[in-house]
Amino acid sequence: MIEITLEVNGETRRLSVESRRLLADVLRQEFNLSGVHIGCAHGACGCCTVHLDGKPRLSCLTFAAQCDGKSVRTVESVGGVGADHPLQKAFRSEHGLQCGYCTPGFIMTLIPFVEEMTAERRMPDEEEIREAMSGNICRCTGYQGIVEAVRKVIGENLEEGAQA
Amino acid sequence: MRPSEFEYHKADSLEQALALLQEFGDEGRPIAGGQSLVPMMNLRLARPAHLVDINGLGLDTIEKKDGVIRIGALVRHERYLAEPLIIDNFPAFIDGVRAIGHPTIRRNGTIGGSLAHADPTAELPLLCMLHDGEIIAASAGGERRLPATRFFEGAYMTVLEAGEMIVAVELPVPPASSSGAFVEMAERRGDFAIAACGVTLEHARGRVTRAAVACSGAGQTAMRAPQLEEALEGLELAHPDAAAAIAAFTETLNPPDDHSASADYRRALVGQLTEQALATACSRAMEAS
Ligand SMILES: Cc1cc2nc3c(=O)[nH]c(=O)nc-3n(C[C@H](O)[C@H](O)[C@H](O)COP(=O)(O)OP(=O)(O)OC[C@H]3O[C@@H](n4cnc5c(N)ncnc54)[C@H](O)[C@@H]3O)c2cc1C
Ligand code: FES
Ligand code: FES
Repeated sequence: MIEITLEVNGETRRLSVESRRLLADVLRQEFNLSGVHIGCAHGACGCCTVHLDGKPRLSCLTFAAQCDGKSVRTVESVGGVGADHPLQKAFRSEHGLQCGYCTPGFIMTLIPFVEEMTAERRMPDEEEIREAMSGNICRCTGYQGIVEAVRKVIGENLEEGAQA
Repeated sequence: MRPSEFEYHKADSLEQALALLQEFGDEGRPIAGGQSLVPMMNLRLARPAHLVDINGLGLDTIEKKDGVIRIGALVRHERYLAEPLIIDNFPAFIDGVRAIGHPTIRRNGTIGGSLAHADPTAELPLLCMLHDGEIIAASAGGERRLPATRFFEGAYMTVLEAGEMIVAVELPVPPASSSGAFVEMAERRGDFAIAACGVTLEHARGRVTRAAVACSGAGQTAMRAPQLEEALEGLELAHPDAAAAIAAFTETLNPPDDHSASADYRRALVGQLTEQALATACSRAMEAS
């Protein structure tokens, strides 16, 4: 067993984990964060994407033991129980989700992309949006609604910035 | 699935990592980005008894020194896309890196991990061969320099010995009048390729003076094409018609024949990709001159 300190969504905890425990399992089982979804457990679907020290990382390809002293954000830190982050709202209005299994992974993958485009003050073309989400698989929506949601939220951010 | 049991060791220095790897021998493995090793462990295709985490070692710089560009083993794939030393010198390398997996994979995967994993159609092994790269491997006993063309022994097999790890890769800086391109074909964007081809050219007065060609999907590892390279010397950049030389090259190939493509399909595909990479490299050379 290995002693680690993890800061997850603002809560810091010391815990003891087996070397082979995946970060995804520790987040789900020890931190009760059921928004961390596991689709394939081998890197192919993107469902388990979280932010590790601010950057997207597949929590199924990460051992918790590697995360000592690191900071983790899961979808629960985004928009709260009302899921009212602008990207989450856009997923709702643009039919970016159906069963919702893949949604936390898409949200955690796409938030940094939306922020980057907003900071660069530009609207990405369709191909760029699809490349940004290419590591995430959705079996329901056919992706078009997700592309629309990304475009909508970046559009809103650019408009807001233009007014300010 | 989940991995079988192992012991985790975080190395704080290269010396410590090498000592641990020497101690564990065949039972130990370094872990870098984990983007290939952890899937294999989750599927129980790999069951190392000890993992030595090398992520804390630094080894993540890209530097130019004495005519070579040295890339640390822990440089993550996405770094090249914003690195002028790579963008300015190795256009084929940049094309290839864009084709590796997806953004999250490129953010975390490392060059040392990709070379050691040795997937037969991974981009970085091909690109290191194409650019005459040398792989620098260290062990508790010292360092070895291994030309990329002699590093891969087969699919997922390299000449690395137990206790050895990659610390850097060196690529010679090409002359100013050079160009290159890389093209691949995969079932889906971001998948491992069925076949790929990279070409680099040096040129003068509108003609090729030296060419390098490397392809994957043509055998168990990526390979260079020395006869074709020779045949391309003297080619006019404005009329890069090398169909005969390319056909002579693909005829000699003995590609794998499996569920994703037949040997004949792969042979034809390698030819097509080589033509495309060559045409792009030539038009880039003309744009620049
Ligand atoms: C969904 C998905 C798609 C992908 N698509 C592609 C693709 O299209 N093209 C592609 O090339 N790759 C692809 N990859 C793999 C990715 O590029 C990996 O990052 C890379 O192959 C391994 O790098 P790593 O740092 O993650 O290595 P790890 O997974 O940490 O290690 C891989 C192997 O290398 C060994 N190792 C690691 N570092 C060293 C070192 N310094 N010295 C010696 N041995 C070492 C490990 O012991 C292990 O055996 C994909 C991965 C996933 C999950
Ligand atoms: S569960 Fe992690 S990528 Fe599929
Ligand atoms: S909404 Fe069902 S998998 Fe994406």
